[in-house]
Amino acid sequence: MNKLFPTQEIGSLSKPKWRVKAYRGNPLSEEEITEALNWGRKLGISDLEKFAEILREKNSPKRRKAILEWSAKYAIKLFETAGLNILYDGEQWRSEMYEHVIRRTAGFEFLGYVKSFDYRYFRKAACVEKPKYSKSFYLEEFVFTKKNTERVVKVPFTGPYTLVDWTFNEYYERKLVDKIKDFKLRKFEARREFIFDLIKEVLRTEIKKLVDAGAKWIQIDEPAVTTNPTDEEMKLFVEAFNELVKGFNCRFSLHNCYSNYAVLAKYVCDLKNCSQLSIEFANRDSRDLGTEDYVRKGYGDLKIFEEEGYNGDYGLGVIDVHTNFIEPPELVRDRILYAVKIVKDPVRIYASTDCGLRTRSWDISFKKLQSLVSGAELARKVLS
Amino acid sequence: MIGCYVTGILPRPDELIEKTRAYDRGRITEKELEENFSKYTDIVIEAQASLNLSFVTDGMLRWQDLLRPFVENLVGASVGSLARWFNNNTFYRKPVITEPLERSGEIVKKVTYVEKLPKNRQWKIILPAPYTFATLSENRYYKDENELMFSYAKILNEEIKSLAESGFSYIQLSDPALTYDPFKSGIDKDTLSFIEDSLKLAVRGLKVKTCLQTFFGDFSKILPEALDFPVTHLGIDIYETNIEEVKTYDFGKGVCLGLVDARSSLLEKVEELVGVAEKIIDSIYPSKINDVFIAPNCDLEFLPWKRAFEKMKLTREITGKLEEKFLE
Repeated sequence: MNKLFPTQEIGSLSKPKWRVKAYRGNPLSEEEITEALNWGRKLGISDLEKFAEILREKNSPKRRKAILEWSAKYAIKLFETAGLNILYDGEQWRSEMYEHVIRRTAGFEFLGYVKSFDYRYFRKAACVEKPKYSKSFYLEEFVFTKKNTERVVKVPFTGPYTLVDWTFNEYYERKLVDKIKDFKLRKFEARREFIFDLIKEVLRTEIKKLVDAGAKWIQIDEPAVTTNPTDEEMKLFVEAFNELVKGFNCRFSLHNCYSNYAVLAKYVCDLKNCSQLSIEFANRDSRDLGTEDYVRKGYGDLKIFEEEGYNGDYGLGVIDVHTNFIEPPELVRDRILYAVKIVKDPVRIYASTDCGLRTRSWDISFKKLQSLVSGAELARKVLS
Repeated sequence: MIGCYVTGILPRPDELIEKTRAYDRGRITEKELEENFSKYTDIVIEAQASLNLSFVTDGMLRWQDLLRPFVENLVGASVGSLARWFNNNTFYRKPVITEPLERSGEIVKKVTYVEKLPKNRQWKIILPAPYTFATLSENRYYKDENELMFSYAKILNEEIKSLAESGFSYIQLSDPALTYDPFKSGIDKDTLSFIEDSLKLAVRGLKVKTCLQTFFGDFSKILPEALDFPVTHLGIDIYETNIEEVKTYDFGKGVCLGLVDARSSLLEKVEELVGVAEKIIDSIYPSKINDVFIAPNCDLEFLPWKRAFEKMKLTREITGKLEEKFLE
């Protein structure tokens, strides 16, 4: 990047109603079609007549595929119009980050819902056989994204540690029943074998396809990293990351959020070929303006990473994705400038959202991203 | 006796999950949701009774997390932000303590279907232990965690007495924070002494059986002090505990062995778990066997309902084998 504070998003954008209903094969109301077309006009998308025809068509595999492509095209254009430098397709082809991969990989069976919190649940699968590459899960969307933008493309890629942590490990635990008597050790070794088989048999295959197709930057999403913050588990995560990205001619970064950064910081220096650490901070921060320590409390953990010797780039979360509050550009500016004070080298700071924007409406997401871009520009002016 | 029971919140059956999601999205009313909680509570109680568990719970289907009924009903506490539930991909809402804690009325009975519990069975209730409640709270009022722990223990005592009067004959105090120790920093003897005092306060004047159930951590790390805790039984998570270390102690009280892994969907081999239990029992009761309960190591809500029921069946089966061996 030639300019300071390149702007980026993390991955997901919510799926508009027309995308959800049409992909399920349901007919759309005229109101929903109008809304879809209005967004298209707002984003300057061409061929809207053709799109309107697709929206009115009867359900068919061809229409479902077209819906995915239009939805991705819209998301890309939304990011571009907001002014982002680095983007993807809002993960419009994916149901969500876990299920999308597991459903396309052999060796897994979904057992049902388990509680996340309150009345929120997630579908959890069990690994019942050795995982095997079945079909590509990211390639098609990547090729489409690359074709539809001139901006820098960063592919969000769910990491092995998270996939394993969110899955019941039946196959490997069963395999070790008669070999390891100690339960704790058995579970750990089963987990370890699961992770490295998944990397070898499935994930590296997909990365190779992406790299061969021209991917230059893959972001490994590992929200589960500090779930189990023991030294053994953190070392396992590091080993898994390094094995995953080993030998590819591609830039890799790590995304983690809502985690224990004091734990993460101790291990990030051991990650090889990880050029950027993109993490959530805005969620922890005040909304007051200023670059003093007591105002920018949410960014205090940057010091821990620096003290541990991390010298890579930061994807600095300056936009909270869990609120409809639109951060004023001046607030974004101050968050960036505060980070510069700590990190010293402004070249290491990329302005980012905390996480994916999937829980926000497109209207809110668009405004937040515009603020992100404007705030980064204000910060550049201060430093120039 | 040798018996079995569940040790935590049961998973909501799939159909109930759909109803709670529908409620969350404004598609059904609170009354409809309540009707469904009632319906599925019948089902999970019947499931426990059908397996002849020694004590039955109402399944705690309405509990959003272990602490929530207290947080929502105690004066001085309010529901805070989401936080990770130990090392799980599950979250709870932090209790925020801003004023002196006060019990203004019934707490647990508000979310417990006491009237549904079968009259021909013994009832069990599961509550957060003082140390776990204090550790997981955001304390903005008390001078330190101990003061908060004692204040909560006093309230807990009132609550337990009321529950015992209503017919609950087994009180489990869940204390995962007591053994969860990912950084291996250990728990010091002074803290263990304060915990013992808080438990004394919590169970003072009680005639029912009590169990301090630990999970997510190594029970052996709180030995031998835990053997003096003023509870009838001690609960051990077999999957996190150094069993060889536990076996070196002579237990003067009953145990609950968390033998069935509630965080794994794999159905264990009965014979293996029976063998593990036999060795523990033989070691910790060298002369005379005390009460032994076989149970899942923690809340079964980490599993989908159908698999959780399979695990409950497994628990019953292991218990049967142990009864054959030890009660001949």
